[in-house]
Amino acid sequence: MNRLAAWFSGLRQRDPASTVVGSIIVVILFVLALRAGINKALVIGLTEHAPLVLASIGFALLYRLTGLINVAYAETITLGAYFGVWMNTTFGLNFYAVLLPAGILAGLISVATYFGIFRPAKRFNVGALEMIIMSFGLSIFLRYGLQFVFGYPVRFFDVPPPQTIRVLGVGVSTFRLLAIGSVLVLSLALYFFIQRSRYGLQIRALASDEDLAQASGIRPLAVTVMIWFIAGVAGGLAGAFYGVNSNVAPLLGWRQFLFFLLVVLVGGSRGLGGVIVTGLAAGVALAAMSLQFSQTLYSQLFLIVAFIVLLKVRSRRLSETGKV
Amino acid sequence: MTLDWLDAFLITGVFSVVMIAGLGLLLHLQLGLARIANFGVVGFWGIGMYAYGVLYVKVDWPFGDPWAFIVAALFGVVVAGLAGLLVGWLIADLDEDGVLVGTLGFATVVFILATTEDDLTGGALGMGGLRFPYNIGSVKANELLWLVILTAIVALILLYVWKVHRSPYGRLLIAVGANEPLAQSLGKPAFRTKLWLFVVGSAGMGLLGVMYGVLERFLETSNLGVDLTLAAMVALVLGGTARIWGAVVGAVLTIGFFDIVVQSYLPLPKEWYQQAIPVLREMVFGAALIVVLLFRPLGILGDMRRDKLMRSMHGD
Repeated sequence: MNRLAAWFSGLRQRDPASTVVGSIIVVILFVLALRAGINKALVIGLTEHAPLVLASIGFALLYRLTGLINVAYAETITLGAYFGVWMNTTFGLNFYAVLLPAGILAGLISVATYFGIFRPAKRFNVGALEMIIMSFGLSIFLRYGLQFVFGYPVRFFDVPPPQTIRVLGVGVSTFRLLAIGSVLVLSLALYFFIQRSRYGLQIRALASDEDLAQASGIRPLAVTVMIWFIAGVAGGLAGAFYGVNSNVAPLLGWRQFLFFLLVVLVGGSRGLGGVIVTGLAAGVALAAMSLQFSQTLYSQLFLIVAFIVLLKVRSRRLSETGKV
Repeated sequence: MTLDWLDAFLITGVFSVVMIAGLGLLLHLQLGLARIANFGVVGFWGIGMYAYGVLYVKVDWPFGDPWAFIVAALFGVVVAGLAGLLVGWLIADLDEDGVLVGTLGFATVVFILATTEDDLTGGALGMGGLRFPYNIGSVKANELLWLVILTAIVALILLYVWKVHRSPYGRLLIAVGANEPLAQSLGKPAFRTKLWLFVVGSAGMGLLGVMYGVLERFLETSNLGVDLTLAAMVALVLGGTARIWGAVVGAVLTIGFFDIVVQSYLPLPKEWYQQAIPVLREMVFGAALIVVLLFRPLGILGDMRRDKLMRSMHGD
């Protein structure tokens, strides 16, 4: 408790404004969650929005390690869902059997976009602003292009009706439990992979100083491809879970884009752990607010506004630094 | 006056070309000069359209139509301008990532509010009751006159952009876009410049939204998707982000090709127009953004032409 108080006061000294705003948001959410029933908000939030955490992890990897906001990551998610539904309905494969290949295919697409577009763009010295617009163009291209491959109608996973298990007195489908389980496993694995393994060290070295990393014998290409692949797999899995929970449509990933973007920008400054915590908190907050408000969209509205205000308050400190 | 020779599709086609050119011109000030990528064009456009539509339809106006329209349209423009002030303040000191979040978030908020506040906006079902503020005969004649008015407005926007290019304010925008800390350290008010840029740009986008709402005579939330932002951005990037005429050239080449040539003149099977053509259109737009930025980042028209003062200072 003492350590917590010390950490909090340290935070307050370093960054008073955003601590205040952050605390206000947390208190509001806590009150909302209490009114909605804390067990309900927790269980629904964690299970229903588990894919959001998965997507955020992948997006954060790309963002932190290549410095790129890749709008087309939304379509990696959508494609994961489409690959899953295609194998599921065409070959009659079980949903659980489809997960891994769908993730791998999405990872390969992610690597292909790197080689096809982002690597040449870096060679041509495309600026940061143009890079975002290009990834926006790629996102649109993939979102509409996949309709020519997979067809226009909304598609559904062919799965037996999920069993409902009661957790803390709230009914949860098995798919959602699997989603939160795989989020936990994947995030732990990724965390240890990046913090402890040799490849993780190489990834971090490459992210902090490319020339130095290259001079110390790290092959940047191999490591970069690995990052894009892992991020793609995480996105594809997230897409498959989103798809099995509702349906598979071209806008599936794009609808989530703003949320994982905000989660990564707000939580990303505290590393991968911060992303996971922020993603889970956003999920619980969305669930708590959905239980309270008359329309689900209001909870999204509140979350978007709260996160943007937090970003704005936090950026105040940084406005003085810049490149002259 | 008989207008039988005029295809109804042609009016809407030309209307969207002119409107996208207008949006692209306003985006040019933000993206081409100040280097702020506004991903929320549709939000400002939509908030103008909806603010106008709700006030026009829901209020029991004591006076007749041109005046009711003018008051409601003015309201739409002011609301869009105020939204621009808010968003401009939000993103003025953020980097590219923050600008993406702020503008895209704003567009999403507009979409959410248009959907949830269905007592006012009709929500997902849409809302009718909008009409032209005049009646000069047939529907076609009314639409044609509306197109002429829109063209006049966009011509005024073009004139404004042309003036900005040749004014100290325009040079300030370029300076802020090229190196903001440097401009700040020379005592230039970068923050205020960006605020003003967003107020004017958003008010203009709101006005174009009002014009579109009247032509359609129906407000739909499906208009508030990302397609419009994409169209304005593709037009500008293809034509040339740094040039005054870039957005106009780009809009004619992109929207003109798909909404006029493909829509009315190509002998394509009827059933393609249902789904394949709209999907193909967006796909081509997305690909165009990638290809142009990769191989010709400044678009068809190329780099900025400096005005006389700058040329005399730097040589050309």
